[in-house]
Amino acid sequence: MTKMDEGIRAAARQLLEESKVSAVIGYELADKGRVRPVVIERTEDVDRLIWNEDCNLNLVNYLHQRKMPAGKDQPIPKTALVIRPCDVRAVNLLISEQQIKRENLKIIGIQCAGTRINKKARITCSFCQERIPVDYDVLIESDKPIEIPTESDGFADIQEMEHWTAEERLAYWTEEFDRCIRCYACRQACPGCYCFECVAEQVDSHWTSIAMKVPEKMFFHVMRAYHLAGRCVLCGACEAACPMNIPLSKLNRKVARDILESFGYKTGDDPKHAPLLACFDPNERLHI
Amino acid sequence: MAETFEPKIVSFLCNWCSYAGADLAGTSRIEYPQNIRIIRVPCSGRVDPLFVVKAFLDGADGVMVLGCHPGDCHYQQGNYHAQRRYLVMHKLMDFIGVESDRLYIDWVSASEGKRFAEVVTNFTQRVRKIGPLVIIRDPHALEVKLDEVTA
Amino acid sequence: MKFISYKTRDQWVKNLSAKARVVAPVDSKGKIIYKQINSADEAVWNFEKTDLPAKTWYFPMTEPILYIEQGKQTKLTEAPVPSPVVMFGVRPCDARSGLILDELFIGKPPIDRQYANHRETLTMIGLACSEMWETCFCTAVGGAPDSHDGLDILLTEVEGGYALEVLTEKGNKAIDGVAIEEKDLKIPEATLREGLPVVRNSKEWSTLFNDLYWKELSNSCISCRACAFVCPTCRCYDVRDELVTIKPGVKNYERLRAWDTCTMAGYRRIAGGHNPRETTEKRLRNRFYCKFMYYPEDFGPIACIGCGRCIEVCPVGINIQEIIAQVDHLLDTAAVKA
Repeated sequence: MTKMDEGIRAAARQLLEESKVSAVIGYELADKGRVRPVVIERTEDVDRLIWNEDCNLNLVNYLHQRKMPAGKDQPIPKTALVIRPCDVRAVNLLISEQQIKRENLKIIGIQCAGTRINKKARITCSFCQERIPVDYDVLIESDKPIEIPTESDGFADIQEMEHWTAEERLAYWTEEFDRCIRCYACRQACPGCYCFECVAEQVDSHWTSIAMKVPEKMFFHVMRAYHLAGRCVLCGACEAACPMNIPLSKLNRKVARDILESFGYKTGDDPKHAPLLACFDPNERLHI
Repeated sequence: MAETFEPKIVSFLCNWCSYAGADLAGTSRIEYPQNIRIIRVPCSGRVDPLFVVKAFLDGADGVMVLGCHPGDCHYQQGNYHAQRRYLVMHKLMDFIGVESDRLYIDWVSASEGKRFAEVVTNFTQRVRKIGPLVIIRDPHALEVKLDEVTA
Repeated sequence: MKFISYKTRDQWVKNLSAKARVVAPVDSKGKIIYKQINSADEAVWNFEKTDLPAKTWYFPMTEPILYIEQGKQTKLTEAPVPSPVVMFGVRPCDARSGLILDELFIGKPPIDRQYANHRETLTMIGLACSEMWETCFCTAVGGAPDSHDGLDILLTEVEGGYALEVLTEKGNKAIDGVAIEEKDLKIPEATLREGLPVVRNSKEWSTLFNDLYWKELSNSCISCRACAFVCPTCRCYDVRDELVTIKPGVKNYERLRAWDTCTMAGYRRIAGGHNPRETTEKRLRNRFYCKFMYYPEDFGPIACIGCGRCIEVCPVGINIQEIIAQVDHLLDTAAVKA
């Protein structure tokens, strides 16, 4: 048990004992040394909670199952989440989109040394400048020393791809999407994707067929990256969830970098910020 | 005689400005290439960038979205929204492998018939130079299937 | 014992690809997927499990079942009988899944003609497993690393090549012209896994339907389709008429059948909006009841072959072996109390 595990368990125990929340959502150890999300509702289960660098999903996603009243005349459940700084930005996003209220949430924020996907460090993590969440109720300090790089170059691989020819990029994505099986794990793992009926499955507005062909799969991924423009917090949960190891985050990071360059905007700084693509400045003239 | 490639160009024109501009080009008998297929929409803000993606994936070689000049939108704000959306989508499409020269966003007013014809002529030339856009449906199909033959 | 060398195997693939579609496991950026090949060096011959099951070749992810031409008159064309496919590298568990699905699709009328055509034109050449790998539990559900069920030929790797056993008439046809040697061979025994969970029968599963365990299990499920889409025995599908082309006066549609899963939120939603399986708890419970209770009661076999692919891909670590073990434990505890 590490100091971080201790801190998380102590915070969870206190929150449950004082009935401040009805559930603490964090991670537990699974088979083969893996980790998986767990919902703790009783104090006697609190010792299952752990934290390590494989905790790479975005637990804010589970709030979508807990944002409505539990039943008739019942209040909205109160939840505690064990989340990283990038995940916390998703909290601000959902508050700004009026999906959740901050008072129903307790944030057990992690001072993050970086997480990995399939045992490889995430590029976004390696260059992350923000190791402490913008908002938290309890802070769990890192038990490892954290070295923050002075230059932020978390987009180096994107820049490299931008120097390829368009044919090379098209061939690359055709090959990647050929492996996609439209399981929608990426969409389901993402806290920003909460549409009741996704565009990819609509019949009445027939955007895409159900066929497993590259154009249909390309449409789904481009659509998802576009619908997350200005909303993606770069948590990497989509890529962590993908069973076919498709480098999905490249699309989201490309959009996020362009938005950062053009508007200086980073998702989730402040819950009061309106979504970027939903507003405009009448004086701006953009070069498209 | 060698066959030159004739690009398929889908053009979204907003009813109040660019579509009227196209009308004016027509009534003024100004010629422009026939490659464009025009889709009339009430406003450039109505053009969901996903329409553009779908157009490319369904066989278009080039797509144009023409709206009112910023400040002149018939619905006040539609083209401001379009501006931000297309800034994002243009770069995303380029990243996927659809060259940025294949997608053209511009503002053409109702009185700019001549300019409309120029815009269409220049864009068609540009896409003709790039060549056809080939989206492969099934990269590993070694056997041609019946549906590909009938389609 | 029949024996073929690696060289013979390569020649065999070459000869077959002149008269049939040859399919084998191919490395696709680290994921092993059955794809059509022209020569043996395009395939991988040393692997544990493929990432997608053999089922993709006789029950494809999407396939047209009807072509519709709508003009002045409506013309319907059935999907053609597929050209012959010979599949190499089929693990015995994957071959068993074919027999399990056969019970549903062709076991009794009405016969699914499309599925039947695929099965008739498919020859499966199996590759025995040298061991049971970490997420495997085939022996717990009636399978084995060297089982013959559902295969036309079984290859077992030995020194220099493979021991070859012909199991069916289709298998006999497939080895036509192959330079088979006779050798005195000792077939190595596969290493089995110990301590596997015990699968209880369908009647016993029915007693746990309302147990609180299913709610707790489903707390972390995100209702994606990953588990079902890699599963060799999942078989639910959606059917849609999709427009292919419009020409003047004529619209061409294809009626597409595509995989679908009960884990998705909208799967069981009906017109009017009512959804009998609105909660994740009900959907996840349904997935396991379908495999271990409904399918055996309706068709006979358990709809699980113990390959463990679902365990590998689940983004939130839901583990079918743990569930089987927990059901076993809950039933024992209930029996003790009674």
